[in-house]
Amino acid sequence: MRSTDAITLTRFRASFADPHLLLEAVKRLKQEGYPIIDTYSPFPVHGMDEAIGLKPSRLPRACLAFGLLGLATALGVQIWTSAYDYPLIVGGKPLVSLPAFIPVSFELTVLFAGLGVVASLFVASGMRPKFKVPDLHPGVNDDRFVVAGEIQAGASFTVVQSLMASLGALETELLVEDKSQTDHSLLDREAKPLAFLLAAIPAVLVLAALPLLNRNYLKRNLAWDGGMMAPVAYQSFDPHPSLPGGQVLQTPPAGTVSRKGLVPLPYGPGKVEAERAGLELKNPFQPSQENFSRGKLVYDRSCAACHGLDGDNNSSVIVARGLLAPAILVAPVVRDMPDGRLFHVATFGGPQKMKGLGDLISRDDRWKVVLYIRELQRAAAPKPLPAPPPSTGATS
Amino acid sequence: MAPEDHTSALPATLLIEDEQERGYGHVLPLIDGNKTYSQVTEEVFSTTERMPPLKWWLALSVSLSLLLLGAWAVTQTVTRGIGTWGLNRTVGWAFDITNFVFWVGIGHAGTLISAILFLFRQRWRTSINRAAEAMTIFAVMCAGTFPIIHMGRPWLAFWATPYPNTRGPLWVNFKSPLLWDVFAISTYFIISLTFWYLGMVPDLATMRDRAKTKVRKAIFSIFSLGWNGSNRTWSRYETVYMLLAGLSTPLVISVHTIVSMDFATSVIPGWHATIFPPYFVAGAVFSGFAMVLTLMIIARKVMDLEEYITVRHLEAMTKVIIATGMIVGMAYGTEFFMAWYSGNNFERYVFINRALGPFKWAYWSMVSCNVIIPQLFWIRKVRTTPWMIFILSIFVNIGMWFERFVIIVTSLHRDYLPSSWAMYTPTFVEVAIFLGSFGLFFTCFLIFTRLLPMIAASEVKGVLKHEEH
Ligand code: HEC
Repeated sequence: MRSTDAITLTRFRASFADPHLLLEAVKRLKQEGYPIIDTYSPFPVHGMDEAIGLKPSRLPRACLAFGLLGLATALGVQIWTSAYDYPLIVGGKPLVSLPAFIPVSFELTVLFAGLGVVASLFVASGMRPKFKVPDLHPGVNDDRFVVAGEIQAGASFTVVQSLMASLGALETELLVEDKSQTDHSLLDREAKPLAFLLAAIPAVLVLAALPLLNRNYLKRNLAWDGGMMAPVAYQSFDPHPSLPGGQVLQTPPAGTVSRKGLVPLPYGPGKVEAERAGLELKNPFQPSQENFSRGKLVYDRSCAACHGLDGDNNSSVIVARGLLAPAILVAPVVRDMPDGRLFHVATFGGPQKMKGLGDLISRDDRWKVVLYIRELQRAAAPKPLPAPPPSTGATS
Repeated sequence: MAPEDHTSALPATLLIEDEQERGYGHVLPLIDGNKTYSQVTEEVFSTTERMPPLKWWLALSVSLSLLLLGAWAVTQTVTRGIGTWGLNRTVGWAFDITNFVFWVGIGHAGTLISAILFLFRQRWRTSINRAAEAMTIFAVMCAGTFPIIHMGRPWLAFWATPYPNTRGPLWVNFKSPLLWDVFAISTYFIISLTFWYLGMVPDLATMRDRAKTKVRKAIFSIFSLGWNGSNRTWSRYETVYMLLAGLSTPLVISVHTIVSMDFATSVIPGWHATIFPPYFVAGAVFSGFAMVLTLMIIARKVMDLEEYITVRHLEAMTKVIIATGMIVGMAYGTEFFMAWYSGNNFERYVFINRALGPFKWAYWSMVSCNVIIPQLFWIRKVRTTPWMIFILSIFVNIGMWFERFVIIVTSLHRDYLPSSWAMYTPTFVEVAIFLGSFGLFFTCFLIFTRLLPMIAASEVKGVLKHEEH
């Protein structure tokens, strides 16, 4: 221990067990004229700021400033990207549609204000990782309430000690430190790194803006997996480990109307071609219950509206409307046409107006319709036929 | 323990003065057991310094298994594709977004306790706010995983952020509520984390001062930022804490508002409603408080913290539950009224279908869990008996999960075109991801309770004898 008397510019530290005792002691020290350096406590002691004469913090202003910065950033980014750099109309809204920008603006305001004010606190109070904590009283984060003050020239430590003891101090110690360390203006201590930090801001901003100013759209992005540029989709004829048949291309489900991939039909439209088809093509389907019912289904859906349900124009819509009457399918003219010719008509259309239905009805179904028409003709045959072809023939 | 015992056995100094003045019959103490400051330090920090008990390891092993199950399911989703889920062209959102909204909502109670109750000077928050904030952070983590997995290519999730790229001038769409969500959830996460950390700095300093090993000392020296309890720092710290609380309060409201806009700005009947923002915020608080109760009732038992998390805390939270539960109940009614009053056939159909259609079981479980069962909290005995609160809180958790499920799935599965009507059943992978999110949550929470002080010691010390202020 040093001699405790008559040391100039020294600090003392007294600890208490209760915040109220501390507050009383601080008030008393102030009265007696001792400069208070700081107090230390496990939780904020209310009324201490006034007692040691701290002015209210200016951090709220920093918070406001950062918040405004966030707001400006948010609006700037949103307006520039949505209205200038990438003017895309979405949902019929104007390019700059402020109501739609409110949420993001609000979030960024809060984000900047919150992070900014915490960063300001760290800077203002010198809070950063420290392996040796200055002015740390061992019990202060537990249950000790500590005051540190200065003993001015001429004053004696013993006087302070007894004063503190009379106010309930658990212990009072003398700290001899050089002036530079007792300097409690933390802002001074942080000034240098702070200056560097501030100076770095423009550099960072320029660096951040560079990619924006210098964009080369012909150059591809750095992409670590190629993203959507490299599709993972399989090609039709690729092998595939887990699909039936071990390949990607699968047989289409039943009933699919195929548009390509079938054996080509080597015929064109027209009467000559129709006759050729009549000579060359044969119905690949045998009359059977199944084929009839399929043929009936297709006929009823695709032919009956014009040709009538029984192929006799009786229930024909277009006849009822006075339009060009279709050929009577159960008439001998048609009955005598070979299967291939009927198939050709169903595919490429009639000699005058009838549209070819080859692109709507699958090839198999067209053959089954022919089977069905044959059935209709057979059903109609026993009846005494109307006067043979001429007037009501294929043409009128 | 009956509440009366507490009051009579305690010195009057531990009672809340103003409530006494207001003439409340039974006032339960904030902190039981007439503790000294060093006792608080010892009890709060010793849990972080000794080997966890067997029951902790058991709990950790269960939640780690769940987490693993979830990880397996996520791997399935990512490697085999979204086809492993039960979604279809009609029901394009189901389990994933239900879970997202569920977890975000749970997070909100933490912020409410730490920020809003702080602004209202509700001192009872002090012993639960740390854990509630931790809950917020872990819940938001769970929530965030769902939209990211749902993207199908989670490694490209950064595409949702506006960054200068060379794909032509191509930017995110700032007019889309889904992008607002990205901003809202990430801001919420960052600010909650900051708030949580800032509130913990003084306690981290205590841990540093108590540290026995070099490594521990070094780690806590880094994170405690040279804290020495200086009044100048405390003064600024309190200002900043207050500012953060002030910022978090509108933030938490904005987050669930924006989440509700994911639905409300669409034209799906059952979603397209202006009551969604307040309705969702109330629902979030409701479900969040239920989750806080569930967690706290387990934690106070397992960690022997009954004297810190007292019946008084539990009771206060049950009151929040009744209030928000009734707001939610009113919203259910209002939805029906609006559907009827709108005169819109699609809207009417959706609500009739909700209550009587194929998902009616979900709807009625939601109504009974959220509106009917919490009414039991009107009974004082129920409010002050931890095991009863626990059971009711579980019901609310279930009910609120169903609420999101009902809103999302019943509105989607019958849309305008009857030809596209469909049903939805979750697949095992979806259920596993959901269980996995619980695994993630509880693993994080359990590790937190052993690594960091679960109770804000510096704040609790401040309310020990606060009647003298
Ligand atoms: C839009 C009405 C309409 C539809 C549908 C229709 N046809 Fe025709 N069909 C006609 C008309 C009109 C004629 C007579 C004038 C012509 O040949 O263009 C005709 C003529 C025919 C002829 C006689 C052709 C000839 O060379 O004289 C056959 C055979 C025929 N149709 C079969 C069918 C079959 C099979 C279907 C169903 C796959 C069908 N039609 C669907 C209107 C139709």
